[in-house]
Amino acid sequence: MRRTRNQLTIAAVSFLLGLLVVTQLRAQAAGSGLGGMSSQDLTVFVANLNAGLDQRRQEIAALERDLATLSANQDRGVVSLGQVREELASIRAYAGLERVTGPGVTVTVDGPIDGPTVEDLINELRGAGAEAIAIDGVRVVAGSVPTGGPGEVAVEGDRLDDPFEVSAIGGAETLTGSLTRSGGIVAQVAATSPEVTMTVTPVDRLELPATQRNLVPEHGSPRL
Amino acid sequence: MSGTGLRARIGNRIRSIPSWQVTLGLALLGLGFLIAAQLATERPRIRYTTQERTPLIETAVDLQEQQEELSAQVLKLRDQIHAIEQQGQGTNAAIRKLNAELEEARLSAGLIPLRGTGVVFQLEDSVEPAGAVENELDYLVTARDLRTMVEELWLAGAEAIAINGERVVPTTSIIDIGGVILANSAYLTPPYQISAIGSEDLYEQVVSSPGFADFVRARQDAYGIRIGYLEPPEVDIPAFAGTATLRNARPAPSEEPPASPAPASPGTGG
Repeated sequence: MRRTRNQLTIAAVSFLLGLLVVTQLRAQAAGSGLGGMSSQDLTVFVANLNAGLDQRRQEIAALERDLATLSANQDRGVVSLGQVREELASIRAYAGLERVTGPGVTVTVDGPIDGPTVEDLINELRGAGAEAIAIDGVRVVAGSVPTGGPGEVAVEGDRLDDPFEVSAIGGAETLTGSLTRSGGIVAQVAATSPEVTMTVTPVDRLELPATQRNLVPEHGSPRL
Repeated sequence: MSGTGLRARIGNRIRSIPSWQVTLGLALLGLGFLIAAQLATERPRIRYTTQERTPLIETAVDLQEQQEELSAQVLKLRDQIHAIEQQGQGTNAAIRKLNAELEEARLSAGLIPLRGTGVVFQLEDSVEPAGAVENELDYLVTARDLRTMVEELWLAGAEAIAINGERVVPTTSIIDIGGVILANSAYLTPPYQISAIGSEDLYEQVVSSPGFADFVRARQDAYGIRIGYLEPPEVDIPAFAGTATLRNARPAPSEEPPASPAPASPGTGG
């Protein structure tokens, strides 16, 4: 009788232990930081995740189409040069190695802005879905960093004029809405640097140059 | 009483403890440890506990898991496409040339995982308490901190960067939403590891820059944000697992002269 009671006690403690291990692991793995968010922030967060999911689903659909065509061609023993060229042009455009055209916005920046604020603007444009960005005719790629203090900003070694123009290709309405929303970058700059103005203009067709940079890494090798 | 006698008595006493009591004791010790760990996990980033948020958190966790699955699927499909293209290499010179250009373009775009020399920086929230009139959020790592670190690495000559496994590409944004950070629409959990491939002296290049010194003063010295680094023999950077398909931008025909922008509607903002 006493032995049974002891075994039951150990079983109960082990159950609790297991429960806590699982709770602890789950908390650390996924939701730990989310517990600190307000309902409003969580709603924005979920919307961002949904947008990311949609993009990935579209990417998967496009990749599956490419794979199906490539496989069919392979079965027939042919290679579609047209398809390879199209893919090459698309990836080069994405990387910033090709000139690109498309709708989007221009942001005219007037006044003594500094490098980090220009970077904030670029980050905001990217967050709103900009696919290609240029500043005063210089294509902004992954490694392009606007540097310098107020009124002395340079990008890729080129000092920017005052005013200067940031052009971004993407959904014009989404880009404009994101930049000019309450609490967005335009409002933030107006509040913190009243001498700087940003004017956002939707544009039907922009043409952005290719980067002059060599983007192929020299110190890293493909890990396949 | 002699020392030998005391040791013998203690030994006998220990041997007389039933094994179930030892097991139970160890289990309770584990339980206590886990309860303490559970409480310790609930650091400043967790403050709200209202019921209506639970479904939202569950949705967010579920979406994040879905996103990870889809990202893995994207990478797998790209690998399959890459493998088929490589098989077609030997057929003729034009295809070999195109495939080589394709490989170079993918490397440039961040669509291929890399391994090479470099450095890994780690940023962690401060453990110092915020003063009564201070903002608690200043003691947490922000998206701006991660962007500053990324910028310093680019300026120091980094060739490829990833944050907690999210590759930094031309379309990457790093944003804060209510104290949590997203990069490429993926949720990043602390600590934040910024891995970069570059020359062997990449670390020295970063720490000798005035911008990095300003960053350390502003965040580590003032608020206790913990900045660490590692220089492993090799740094691994994953491929970008998001979308690289352009929906609005198109490669410009090379023969077309540049067109000036045509405003579509009146300006906003200012």
